[in-house]
Amino acid sequence: MRRMMMSAMMSTALAATLLGAGSAQPAAPATGFSADPASSRLEFTGVQAGAEFKGSFHKFSAAIDFSPDALDSAHFDVLIDMASEDSGDKDRDDTMRGADVFDIAHFPSAHYVTKSFTKTVSGYTAAGSLTLHGVTKDVPIVFKFTPNAAGGNLSGTAELKRLDFGVGRGDWKSTEWVADAVKVAFSLSLKPKS
Amino acid sequence: MPTRTEPVRYGVPAQLFHWVIAGLIVTQFVLARMSLHLPVGARKLALLARHKSVGMTILMLAILRLAWRLRHPAPPLPPGMRPAERFAARATHAAFYVLLFAMPLTGWMMSSAKNYSVSWFGLFTWPNLIAKNEHAFNVLRSTHDVLSNVLFAIAVLHILAALKHHFWDRDDVLMRMLPSTRQR
Repeated sequence: MRRMMMSAMMSTALAATLLGAGSAQPAAPATGFSADPASSRLEFTGVQAGAEFKGSFHKFSAAIDFSPDALDSAHFDVLIDMASEDSGDKDRDDTMRGADVFDIAHFPSAHYVTKSFTKTVSGYTAAGSLTLHGVTKDVPIVFKFTPNAAGGNLSGTAELKRLDFGVGRGDWKSTEWVADAVKVAFSLSLKPKS
Repeated sequence: MPTRTEPVRYGVPAQLFHWVIAGLIVTQFVLARMSLHLPVGARKLALLARHKSVGMTILMLAILRLAWRLRHPAPPLPPGMRPAERFAARATHAAFYVLLFAMPLTGWMMSSAKNYSVSWFGLFTWPNLIAKNEHAFNVLRSTHDVLSNVLFAIAVLHILAALKHHFWDRDDVLMRMLPSTRQR
């Protein structure tokens, strides 16, 4: 075997390369974080009758395993409590929680799980799947990670089409008055998992 | 009418402002009535979206109309009108101008207070005038509603007065707001 013919130092270096790490600490996994609910935001922007409206989910939990130098072991798992949807108007919220839109009686939560990560010029993208309204679809996210003393900040965006998930039935299925495209934005304050 | 001379008419822009805005106001009453008893839903949203777009159109036209009116005084009222009649005519016209601004502005503020931004026919979105506020919304909705009743009342008065001038007084008040039909 070739490896046996090499010096101990060389073989260590080669082993590191074969493991595919290419980093100083090949064995170090991504750091585990959780999002601090008080200072994290998960928002969406829809278009209704031609005008944008913003809403947010006050309750969600995010388990974030991420290190910039260990993308292979990075993993996001976000669970959203759909009843915490808040668009700033009771009529609209009641409608959105109701059977024709999110139908939270049957689908009380949404779930986002990542599959893989890619470094980009300005940050990262993640491929992942969103389960919303009982339908699972691929939804990529674009984000930046900024380490800080407390842990880090993770902020980014995603775009999805509500009808892909069957969100909007009956009168609400038409895109004439409520657009299909919905923008999602998030900013998570990450703290190391305790 | 032999007793009627060719009237000093309102100019073409003033007549256009009058009749276009009058037509839009009728549209507003129809849209508002149609949406009034609908449950919260897509149909109501659609009707109110049109109502808001038309309302913002009226507001923009009202600004242009007021600017035009300030530079182009109305033709003088016919001689023979009593002071009380002159006052009533002027007060009604002034009230119309106030309402041309007050109706769309209270509507726009209503939408803002309820956190529904106002789009103009889907082409662009107007900024919110005030922050979301449930109490303010209720007050503004009542105000918008009361003002719409006032507008309806003075519109009826205005139309009856125009007809009275035309058929009873046989003066040129109605004709001044209509295009000339004089044969050459």
